[in-house]
Amino acid sequence: MCVVAADSPSSAQDPLFVVRGLTKTYGDGEAAVHALVGVDLDLFPGELVVLLGASGSGKSTLLNNLGGLDTPTSGKLNYRGWSLDEADQEGLTRYRRDVVGFVFQFYNLIPSLTARENVALITEVAADPMSPDDALALVGLTDRRNHFPAQLSGGEQQRVAIARAIAKRPEVLLCDEPTGALDIHTGITVLDAVQRINRELGTLTVIITHNAAIAAMSDRVLTLSDGRLVGQKKNPQRLAVQELQW
Amino acid sequence: MTHLDRKLLRDLRTIKSQALAVALVMACGLAMMVMTRSLIRSLETARSEYYARNRFAEVFAGLKRAPLSLVDEIARIDGVAAVQPGIALQVTLDIPGLPEPARAEINSVPDRAVQQLNRLHLRSGHLLGLGSRHEILVGEAFAEAHGLQPGATISAILNGRKLALRVAGVALSPEYIFESPPGAALPDNRTFGIFWMRYEEIAEAYSLKGGFNKVSLTLAPGASEKHVIAELDRMLVPYGGTGAFDRKDHPSHIRVSDEIRILQVISFGFPLVFLSVAAFMTNAVMSRQIHLQREQIAILKAFGFTDWQVGLHFFKFTLAIVSVGALLGAVGGMLLGYRLVDMYHLFFRFPRLDFLVSWGTLFGAAGASSATAFVGVAGVVKRAMRLPPAQAMRPEAPADYRPALLERTRFGARMTLSVRMALRNVQRKPWQSFLTTVALSLAAGILVIPNAFRDGIRYVLDFQWDLIQHETVSVRLVEPGPARALEDFRHLPGVVTAEPMRTVPVEFRAGSRSRRLGLVGLPANGDLTRILDAQEHPKPIPAHGVVLSRKLAEVLGVERGGLLHVRVLAEKRTEAWLPVTDLAEDFAGIIAYMDLEAMNRMLHSGDEINGARLTIAGGSWSDFLEAMKNSPRTSGVVIKEAMRDSFRKTTAESIGLLQTIYSLFATVVAFGIAYNSARISLSERQRELATLRVLGFSQAEVGGVLVMEMVILAAASLPVGLAFGSLLAGGILHSVNTETVRLPLVLTGANYAYSVLVMTLATTLSLWFACRKLNRLDLVGALKAPE
Repeated sequence: MCVVAADSPSSAQDPLFVVRGLTKTYGDGEAAVHALVGVDLDLFPGELVVLLGASGSGKSTLLNNLGGLDTPTSGKLNYRGWSLDEADQEGLTRYRRDVVGFVFQFYNLIPSLTARENVALITEVAADPMSPDDALALVGLTDRRNHFPAQLSGGEQQRVAIARAIAKRPEVLLCDEPTGALDIHTGITVLDAVQRINRELGTLTVIITHNAAIAAMSDRVLTLSDGRLVGQKKNPQRLAVQELQW
Repeated sequence: MTHLDRKLLRDLRTIKSQALAVALVMACGLAMMVMTRSLIRSLETARSEYYARNRFAEVFAGLKRAPLSLVDEIARIDGVAAVQPGIALQVTLDIPGLPEPARAEINSVPDRAVQQLNRLHLRSGHLLGLGSRHEILVGEAFAEAHGLQPGATISAILNGRKLALRVAGVALSPEYIFESPPGAALPDNRTFGIFWMRYEEIAEAYSLKGGFNKVSLTLAPGASEKHVIAELDRMLVPYGGTGAFDRKDHPSHIRVSDEIRILQVISFGFPLVFLSVAAFMTNAVMSRQIHLQREQIAILKAFGFTDWQVGLHFFKFTLAIVSVGALLGAVGGMLLGYRLVDMYHLFFRFPRLDFLVSWGTLFGAAGASSATAFVGVAGVVKRAMRLPPAQAMRPEAPADYRPALLERTRFGARMTLSVRMALRNVQRKPWQSFLTTVALSLAAGILVIPNAFRDGIRYVLDFQWDLIQHETVSVRLVEPGPARALEDFRHLPGVVTAEPMRTVPVEFRAGSRSRRLGLVGLPANGDLTRILDAQEHPKPIPAHGVVLSRKLAEVLGVERGGLLHVRVLAEKRTEAWLPVTDLAEDFAGIIAYMDLEAMNRMLHSGDEINGARLTIAGGSWSDFLEAMKNSPRTSGVVIKEAMRDSFRKTTAESIGLLQTIYSLFATVVAFGIAYNSARISLSERQRELATLRVLGFSQAEVGGVLVMEMVILAAASLPVGLAFGSLLAGGILHSVNTETVRLPLVLTGANYAYSVLVMTLATTLSLWFACRKLNRLDLVGALKAPE
């Protein structure tokens, strides 16, 4: 067994995110759906965190709040002292643009742009980006950079999505079921890319998954149920992706 | 209601604005078709009923004077069914409160015998009683213009005698559905009217007792009109016949026919464009709906719905949109038709002009446009029917893109990513992009047409009234007189310039083609009537030969330098061969000019004139008009400005109304197409645009990506649309090119600018709506959807 990242980040550092009493309710009255109920959480720089939970447990809602796609109904959500719970649309757009990289289950590439252009789209507007070619090299897609999404396999498309997410050197990488639409082999290449980014760039990475096996590659595993954080487990050692037992 | 139908209603609610846009475009096309075809039906029905009921004649002739005994001889011409002799004369009127002199054509009605032909329709008052004196019937248009009721009196100069005439009644005649002065293209009901008087009284006043100067005939079934006309002409030659003609040359009949012809032209081309656009839009909306409902289709099929049930469901979708369009179109067309029938009352006087809906057109057009829409969506629905459920439930593979051709040019390197995205999108769906561009082009094009009509009319009026005619008034003498009569005009108060004029009725013949018209004699160095070429340059009147209007030359099939046979139809019925010395540009009627001296030589008549054109000093205007009112030798005064005013109040208003309707419809189409294209573009790219928003692009930046594609298509459509609009306007104007009126194709920068402006506004507003929708997009929801 190979142990990854001996210098794994620790809670000795100041947290990037401070989440207190985070609550998200959709609708009201009897029809109200409590997606998150009083979640308290700190997330640290360089951490690789896996969020586990059944469907409807609140994982995606938490991720969307962390990513500035949604705002909480109540509670505090601070990123480096920036109150995201109070930010307006413009502020959230700036936050997403400067801070967060997203990876989605269905890749969400722009079909009319090549792999390189999909990445360049972001580097054009980012403050201190890496070159699109470097980003694609990090996910091992240098040879496929001039291909359009339709000409790439699912795993390749997802790796382009990862390259696009990390090209702006984000401090936070949020992955929503990144392997949900992939087979095991392809899933491994994608997770390997995510782990490399986390290790080499020190990006706080949060992965949502149904697949409990993935938890072993993380520093910390958070479990949500009915909108509440019900479990938190620190992995003494992170496993390399190739060693995960699917 | 089945649950599938309930789904249909709810789906329709979600795309209500798009469905409404399609329905509105279709409604505009249908409304226009229903309106114009119904007006045609109304006019044709009213006319044919009127002609039949009031026994409108089929052959007409004017003459100097013939004895009534000739009537029996005329009746014996093979093929003649009935003969109606009569007297028609021009008189000058003095209307209190009207500064300028007015004219009337006074017609006789038989004293004892029943009027055989061209029977009057009494609107109010009573017919002229036997032995009534100084009583007249007045045409409705003139009576309305002056508020004349039975019992009112009016002053007229009959053969030099001023008489106070009492209005016995207000009447209509099938001969004067269009009450305009002889030779005038426009009605002027203030200064020209039609009167009827007892035969005895009018014959007495003009020493025409026992005679007649006009005759109308009807033909027996199967009779040869040509033969009757030739015989009648032969018979009337000794009596100063000015040439017999049939209904198709009858001035009032021509005007109604021209109107019907114009309606026929616009009832087709314009609506056809609208309905094609509506069919395309239906196809686009339905394609998108079926694409968006892939998964639903799959689920329906998975649960046992047949392909046909699914197909029928989407056909019902189309049917709902088409039904709304047809309903709005039918109601709109009928309402506009009712409004326009009222307007026709300004020009055409029928006993009844009811708006008759052309149900055939309504159902035919609704059926045809529905059929087109169904054919348009058939392919898309078929795809939905064939979709295997398992495949439909899986998200679609990403669309296949290629670098756009334009990127390979030297501009390629400088293109931003949003431009590239837009270009590749356009190239990936060439058919859809092409059709959207075509639809936008059609919208831009049809915006050009109403204004081209307006500009054409303006040009003709300026050309006719400012460039050709430079006089203040033109006056006609009762009888041709010696050239010194001009001196009398010169001595009238305020007259600055006076130029002589003589008009004689002639028949031109070139080979087998012939035309009858008034040949106008003008002085050699005259300045008040100018002969112009197409570039508006004046030409001198040549010392010999005739100058023909271009249309007349075309009708006769002659060119400059050709020879024409001229038969004078009045006075000394001379004949001559004249060379066509030059061609003149003009747009109203068919005209021929010649040098006055040469004309008089041809007529062997010495220096004679029968009218004059005058310019009047402004300060003496009222004195001049007063003098004209009391001038017994003058049969008519045409005031240029009064004609222009009258035109503004009648024709211009009606044209304005039509132009407004057409412009409004064209604008609706422009907005409909732009809005639908923007919405479809948003729907297709919703996920892509939501991704960009999530990745940190601002609303404006993402909006820019959405806008780019539409801007490219709209920009490409504009030059094509303007060219198409110009061609279509040219085509429509060409098909209304008649001998009475021709409209030149005048395409102004302002017209093009208007079209571009409306299209820009339509596109901008539509994109603004789409962007607003984009800004409200649920980012998370849009991302989750696999498509």
